[in-house]
Amino acid sequence: MTPDVIVIGAGANGLVAAHTLARAGRRVLVLEQRPEIDETLDAGWVPPAVVNELGLGRHGLEVVRPDPWISVALSGGDRLELWQDATRTAEAIRRVSPADAAKWPAFCRRMHRLAGFLEALYAVPAPDVETRDLRELLGLAGLGLKARRLGREAIIDLLRVLPMSAAELLDDWFEHDGLKAALGAGGVLHLRQGPRSAGTAFVMLHHHVGSPAGVFRPPLSNAAQVLARLPGVEVRRGAQVKRITVANGRTTGVVLGSGESIGASLIASSADPRATLLGLLEPGWLDPEFARAVRSIKCRGVAARVVLSVARDPGFATLAVAPSLEYLERAYDDAKYGAVSQQPYLEARVEDGRVVVHVQYVPYALAEGGWDDARRRALGDLVVERLAEHAPALRAAVTGREVLTPRDLADRGGLTEGNAYHGELTLDQVLFMRPVPGWSRYRTPVPGVYLCGAGTHPGGGIVGAAGRLAARQILKEVAR
Amino acid sequence: MPSPSPSPSRYDAIVVGGGHNGLVNAAYLARAGRRVLVLERRPRVGGAAVTEEVFPGFKFSMFSYVVSLLRPEIIRDLDLPGHGLHILPLESTLTPMENGDYLAAWADHDETRRELYRHSPRDADAYDEYGRLMHFMAHAVKPILGMVPPDPTSLHPRDLLGLLRLGRHFRGLGAEKLHALVKLMTMSSADFLDEWFETDVLKATKSASGIIGTFLGPRSPGTAYVLLHHYMGELDGVFRAWGFAKGGTGSVSEAIAGAARRFGAEIRTDATVARVLVTRGRATGVVLENGDEIRAQAVVSSLDPRRTFLQLLASDGLPEDFVAAIRRFKFRGSSGKVNLALGALPNFTCMPGPGRHLRGAVSISPSLEYVERAYDDAKYGEFSRRPYLDIVIPSMIDPGMAPPGKHVMSIFVQYAPYHLNGGWTDARREAFGDAVIDAVARFAPNLKSIILHRQVLTPADIERVTGLTEGNIFQGELALHQLFFLRPAPSWARYRTPVRGLYQCGAGTHPGGGIMGASGRLAALAMLGDGA
Amino acid sequence: MLRQTPFHARTAALCESQAWRRWAGYVVASSYELTHDREYHAIRSSAALLDVSPLYKYLITGRDAERLLDRVVTRDVARTKVGQVLYTPWCDAAGKVIDDGTIARLAEQTFRLTAADPNLRWLHLNAAGLDVRIEDVSSSTAALALQGPSSRTILEELTAADLKGLKYYRLTPSSIRGIPVTISRTGYTGDLGFELWMDADQALPIWDAVIETGTAYGVTPCGMLALDLARIEAGLLLLEVDYVSAHHALLESQKSSPYELNLGWTVGLEKEWFVGKPALVAEAARGPEWQLVGLEVDWDSLERLYAEVGLPPRLPNTAWRTSVPVYVDGTQVGYATSGCWSPVLKEYLALAHVQGQHARPGSTVMMEVTVEHHRKRAAARVAKTPFFNPERKRA
Repeated sequence: MTPDVIVIGAGANGLVAAHTLARAGRRVLVLEQRPEIDETLDAGWVPPAVVNELGLGRHGLEVVRPDPWISVALSGGDRLELWQDATRTAEAIRRVSPADAAKWPAFCRRMHRLAGFLEALYAVPAPDVETRDLRELLGLAGLGLKARRLGREAIIDLLRVLPMSAAELLDDWFEHDGLKAALGAGGVLHLRQGPRSAGTAFVMLHHHVGSPAGVFRPPLSNAAQVLARLPGVEVRRGAQVKRITVANGRTTGVVLGSGESIGASLIASSADPRATLLGLLEPGWLDPEFARAVRSIKCRGVAARVVLSVARDPGFATLAVAPSLEYLERAYDDAKYGAVSQQPYLEARVEDGRVVVHVQYVPYALAEGGWDDARRRALGDLVVERLAEHAPALRAAVTGREVLTPRDLADRGGLTEGNAYHGELTLDQVLFMRPVPGWSRYRTPVPGVYLCGAGTHPGGGIVGAAGRLAARQILKEVAR
Repeated sequence: MPSPSPSPSRYDAIVVGGGHNGLVNAAYLARAGRRVLVLERRPRVGGAAVTEEVFPGFKFSMFSYVVSLLRPEIIRDLDLPGHGLHILPLESTLTPMENGDYLAAWADHDETRRELYRHSPRDADAYDEYGRLMHFMAHAVKPILGMVPPDPTSLHPRDLLGLLRLGRHFRGLGAEKLHALVKLMTMSSADFLDEWFETDVLKATKSASGIIGTFLGPRSPGTAYVLLHHYMGELDGVFRAWGFAKGGTGSVSEAIAGAARRFGAEIRTDATVARVLVTRGRATGVVLENGDEIRAQAVVSSLDPRRTFLQLLASDGLPEDFVAAIRRFKFRGSSGKVNLALGALPNFTCMPGPGRHLRGAVSISPSLEYVERAYDDAKYGEFSRRPYLDIVIPSMIDPGMAPPGKHVMSIFVQYAPYHLNGGWTDARREAFGDAVIDAVARFAPNLKSIILHRQVLTPADIERVTGLTEGNIFQGELALHQLFFLRPAPSWARYRTPVRGLYQCGAGTHPGGGIMGASGRLAALAMLGDGA
Repeated sequence: MLRQTPFHARTAALCESQAWRRWAGYVVASSYELTHDREYHAIRSSAALLDVSPLYKYLITGRDAERLLDRVVTRDVARTKVGQVLYTPWCDAAGKVIDDGTIARLAEQTFRLTAADPNLRWLHLNAAGLDVRIEDVSSSTAALALQGPSSRTILEELTAADLKGLKYYRLTPSSIRGIPVTISRTGYTGDLGFELWMDADQALPIWDAVIETGTAYGVTPCGMLALDLARIEAGLLLLEVDYVSAHHALLESQKSSPYELNLGWTVGLEKEWFVGKPALVAEAARGPEWQLVGLEVDWDSLERLYAEVGLPPRLPNTAWRTSVPVYVDGTQVGYATSGCWSPVLKEYLALAHVQGQHARPGSTVMMEVTVEHHRKRAAARVAKTPFFNPERKRA
C-alpha cells in the first residue's frame, strides 16, 4: 500500500503520532531502525490526553511510581528518602533538618502550582507570540488570564522562579545539602549546565509536571511497549531511513538503507531535528539561515547509562549519589572542559535484577581523544566504585555491565550528540523557540515534512505529548 | 511629592547618598524648582565614580573607570559639557593570546575586519552581520531601559496599560528580532557567540564583557544579555558618550554635582545619614550619625536596597513579604580593582613598543577556557588564580592623570568573591594583588619593574569605601529574576517604597547598574509626578 | 592602515591629484589627473585602464559547484557554458537582494564569483551538505578593466586570443607577455570593454604591458570618479548607493527585491529551487511595489529655476550619491539615488526608485534641485536604462 504518512521512529512519540493519524483515517507506515521492541521502561509522565485518546489503559499501560522516588546517600551510611506521600517525606526530612521539614509543605504547594501551569502549557501547541490570528490571540490572552488567576504569589513565582537557577531557589528555601542536591539534580538532567545555572529551576519544574506535590521525578511506564503492540498501524522494524526525498520543493517519500524507496507525501519524523533536517533530508532544500539555526540547536549529551547485572541484592532498591549542590556543580565543571566527572552524579535503581544507573556528567565530546572501549571500561569501573562507597555489597554482586555513553546513544539510536531529549531544555530552546525559533508548530520549511519527536514542544520526558500535538497539527493542515 | 514648600527651614527632598544616581536625582528635582539637599558620607561626592589622588601626582579612577552608558538625555538636560564633562574616545581593544599572537579591535571598520580576517575569513564576514543584529537589538531594548516597569500583579489601569505597551513593543519587533531577544535574555554569552564565530579569543573577549560585575561565567545562561551593553553605548556612539572622561570618572560626578548646584541643590559632604525618620508611616526626614535631624517632605535613597531598607529603616515598619524579598535580593560582589602608578609604559610582548594600542583597552581574556576557569575559582569561594582583566592606561588618553612621563594603570578584575574562604584579610588582599600583577606580567614582562605604587581594592574594600553592599558594583546582581519589575522587589520597582514619601533612586532599581544615571532620573520624574 | 592593491606601485606614482578613496578596505584613486574629465572621455572615445582589484572574488570548485551557485543566485547557472559569464543578483529567503555580481564559468566545475561585498560566510552557509570548495581569492587575484572603443585593438596587440570572436559576456583564457590572464568581455561602463584577471604576484607587468602598447591608442589610467559617470550612463546599480543590501538594512523598507531594481530579467522562476524563490514567485504574481527607473531631467525646466535667481544652470561635475526626492503632483513618489551630467549624451541623468504606477517610460515626474539654498523641483522624464547603449558594446 502507499501510505498517506510515513512516521520515522517507533518510540513513544512516533507511535502516538502514528496512531493519532490512523484513528483519523490516514494510512500510516512506521519505519523503525531497530529490529526489536525496546523493553526498557521510559522515564516520563504520560499525559492523560495521550492515555485516553489511544485507550492505553485498556492495553496494559502500567505506571510505576518508585517509592521512595529518591534515596540520597548521606555521610555515615545514612539515607534521606523522599516518598510519594508528602507527609511521609516531611517526616524523613525532619530527621535531618526540622527547619527544612517545616518549609516543605509550602515549597511543595508552590512548586506544584507552577508545575500545573506548565502542564497546561504542555497540553497545547506552543503559544504563538507573533500571531495576528484572532483565535490564537485569544488563546494567548487566556493563558495570561490563567496565570493571573493563580494569584499574586504565583505570578511572582512564575516570573522569578522560571529564570532562576535551581541552586538559588533551593538555597532560598532549605539548608540541608542532601535535600537540595536531590531536588537540584532534577534541574540538570540531560542538560549541560550545573545547578547554579539560570534556567535549571525551570528544568526542575519540568520534571515535576504530572507528579503529585512533593515528587520531583517523573514516573516510569511501559507506554512505549504498549504503543508498540497497539494494533492499527503498520510498523516495519529493522528499516532504517537513509534519506527523505524532495522534488519540486515537496517531499516525495523516503529511501531506506537497503535502497528501497517508499513514496509518501507526508513524513512525520520523531528523530531529533538536526538528524532529520541535516542528516536525512536531501541537502540543498533549506534556507541557509534556517539550516544554521538547526545546526545551532544545543543537544550536547552529558548522560551515560550504565546497566549492572547483579547476582544478588546489591543492598539498595534506589540510590542517588548527590551529597550537595556543590558536588553537582563540580561534576558539571568537568564536563565544561570535555572531561568525565570523576565524582559524578549517580541515580541508580534496581529493575528486574539489574542496576540501572543514570550518570552525569559524561560528555559526548571529550577534550582528549574519543570514546573507546578502554574509556567505557573506566567509566563502568568509576560508577561501580562510587556506588560501592555507599553500598559496599555492590562490588561483589556485579556480574556484568553495559556502558552506554552519549557516543553510543548517538551511534545506536541516531541521537545527535547522544542527547536523550533531542535538544537541551534551556530557556531559549523551549516553547515557541523549540526546535528552532519560529518553527514550533511541527512543520518544517519543506512542505510535507513534519517533526514529531522530543525535539519539539513540549520536549523530552513528557511521553507522547509531542507526537500527539504534531499529529493534530498535521490533521489540521493537510486535508485528505 | 507635594508642591514646593514655602518654608525656608524645610527641604522638599533629601537625597541620601551622593553617588551619580543621587546627584542626577537631585539635579532633576532642583531643575524643577524643588529645594533639595544631598547628604554624602564621604568627603567627596561620586560614590564609586570618583577620581582620587591616592599617590601624589597620580590620579586614579578608583573604582569605575569608563563612561559607557551615561544617558544622552541626562547629558543634555543637565548640560554636563557646560559643567566640565569631556569624554575622550577609547578606541581599541587588544587581547594578547597565550601563543604570543593577539587579537585587536580598532575604531576603523576596515582595519578591524582585516585583523579578524587574519584569524578567520568567515568570522570577518560574520562580525559585520553580528554587529548589525546587535545594533538593532540594542535599539529594540533601549526603550525598555527608559521605561518605568509596570507591575504585572496589579490590576491598576496604569500597570495594565504598561504591560500592554510592553507586549506591543515586543510584537512590533518582528519575529527575527523577538527571537534574538529571547536568545539574548536567556543564553550564555559563550553559547550565543558560538553560533556566530569560530575564533576562540574573539569569543573570549566578547564574552568577558558579559561577565563584568556578575557572579557568572561566560558559559552561564544569562550572560548573553550583557553583550548588548556595548552596542547600546554604540547607539549613542555618534553622541560620543562612550569613552574615558577627562579627569577620570570623578569628573562625571563633579559635572553632575555642578549642574545640581547651579539649579539650586545643596550638597553636604562628610554627612552620614543614620536613619530615615518615619512618622505615622510617612518619611519626614533623616537623622545623621551625629544626631542632627533634618526634615523634608520627601526622602530619596540612592543607597542599595539592603542599606536603604534594612539599615536606614526599622524593619518592623515594612511589610513582611517585602522584607523577605529584599533579604533575598542577591548582591555577591565579584569584582576587584588594582590601580597602579607606573614609572614607564608596559611593553606587551605581542605588540612591542609604545603604540596606539596603549591608548585603548587591553583585555586579558586569551581564551574562553581561561575566563571560565577564572569563574570556577570564584564559585567555590576563591579569587581567580588567573583572573580576567580589563586594563586601561588613562594617562595615555588624558596626560593630566599622571606626572609627565609617568603613567597610571587601571585594572578591573573578575573574579574576586566578596565571600572569600577565610575572609579578606590584609594578606589575602596582597595575594590577590600579586595574582593580578602576575596575570598582566605574563603578557607584559616589564610590568613589575615599572610599578611605583599599587592600590589593591577587594570587594570588601569597595563595600567599606563606597557603601556598596558586598561590593557589588551594580547594587544588586543583574540576573533575570532581579530585573525590571522584580528590581529590587516585586511590585516595588517603580522607585517608590512601602513608606510614603520615601523613594529609591539607586542602581538597585531599574534599569540597574553601570554609570547610566537612568535610575536617578526616572526616580526624580516619579517623585515630581507624585507631587502637584 | 588600508591595504594597497597589487597595482599600487603604478597607481600611486600616477596619482597627481592625491585624491584617494576607500574601496573594500583598499585605497584606490578617485582620479589620477587633477580632474577626472579626460579619464571619463577616454572611456567613451579611446581606452581607459581601471584597477578593479578590490572586488571580492571567490573561486568555487567541486562536484556541487554549479549546484551551490544555482541555489544561491537568481539566474540559471546550470545553463551556463564554460567560458560564459553571468551578471546576477542574489537574495535572502525573503527574496530581497543581498548583493549583485558576476559568475564566470572557468571550467566545468570551476566558477569565479565577483561581488561588491564580502560573501564568504553566505556561500558557506549555503554550501552545507554539498561537495564543494570555496576559496576567497579576493587578494590573490588582481583585476584590471580596459574599457572603450580602442580596448579591443589594444588587447589584440597584446595577446594571441581571438578577441574579435569573443562575444559579449564571454571569457577566454590567454596570456600577456607570458603571464596567464583570463580575459572576459565584461565591465562596469556599458561600453565595449574587457576585464583582465591575473595572479596578484604577476600583476604589475600586465599593467605595464597595457600602458606600453596602449599609449599609442590613447590608453588612460582612470579613477573611480570617471567610472561613476559611465556606469550611471549605463544604468548600472551600485550596492549601498542605489540599493541597500538585505544583510545591511536596518528597516524592511530599505530592502529591495530584484523586481524592484529592474533586475526581473535575472530571476529564473523556472528553476527548481533557489534562496528566495517562493517569495519571488509571489511577488512576480502581484507585481512589485517599486521600480528602479532612469530619469532625464528636462533642460528647460532646470534652466528656468536658475534663471529665476539670475544664474545659469549649475550642473554636477561629478556624480552624486545622495538621496533626492522625486514628486508627482506635489506628493513624494520616490527618490533618486545616483545622478550625473552625462558629457556624451549632454543630459542630466539620474537613477531613481519610484512607486510602480509612476514608472512608465515617458511619464513626467519632478526631481528636487537645490538652487541658491532653496529646494526647487525640476521636471524629469522617466526613461528606460541604459541611457547610453552603443552598438560597439556587443558587436
